[in-house]
Amino acid sequence: MAIRVLFFGFAADRMKTREMLLDPEPNLRIDAVFERFQATLGAPADRFLFSVNDEWAPADRLLLDGDTVAFIPPMSGG
Amino acid sequence: MDIFRIQESPILVAEALDALADPACGGQALFLGVVRNEFQGRASSGLEYDAHVSLAEREFRRIGDEIRLEFGVRHIVMVHRTGRLALGEASVLVGVSAPHRHAALNACEAAIDRLKGRAPIFKRELWADGEAAWHGEPGGPPVAP
Repeated sequence: MAIRVLFFGFAADRMKTREMLLDPEPNLRIDAVFERFQATLGAPADRFLFSVNDEWAPADRLLLDGDTVAFIPPMSGG
Repeated sequence: MDIFRIQESPILVAEALDALADPACGGQALFLGVVRNEFQGRASSGLEYDAHVSLAEREFRRIGDEIRLEFGVRHIVMVHRTGRLALGEASVLVGVSAPHRHAALNACEAAIDRLKGRAPIFKRELWADGEAAWHGEPGGPPVAP
């Protein structure tokens, strides 16, 4: 299946990209995808929030073919 | 009318005032967040903002719906910039109009507080000494309250 992953803020800097396409095995949870990048991101999953297809999603959400998942670092707007 | 928008271009206060105009409203409250020259005592030369634009605009709209119900305001404007901003530039505008002043003032404060806590927007401090760091980044400056 195909998954699009979005990175923002420091996560985009550390990943050296804002977007990545993955072809993972089915029935993968968000936190399992996150684990693949945790060493590069240098921060645990509990520092992040997640969204799928432009809506908030819990870390244990199962990803489906065509989903876009975003790793959202600590928010600091304003 | 309402405006809920993330944009790269400078914030236009006149556009917000036009949106808030309503003969039934006796109060308009406007908050502008501007780029400050320091953070926790360290000199800063500007800020850079990143955002999950589609989700942030959706969250603005959700906050706007809450504010309208809770405070009885009639029009709401929430605009936030992305990209590099110089000292003194406005990074965010929140404006509301309501029949009376207390509703407008209280709604405006609630809206900016909720925006800061809930909108997926990210701030990078451009220190005056040439270094830079994202707020909330491991080893970086904390997320401001």
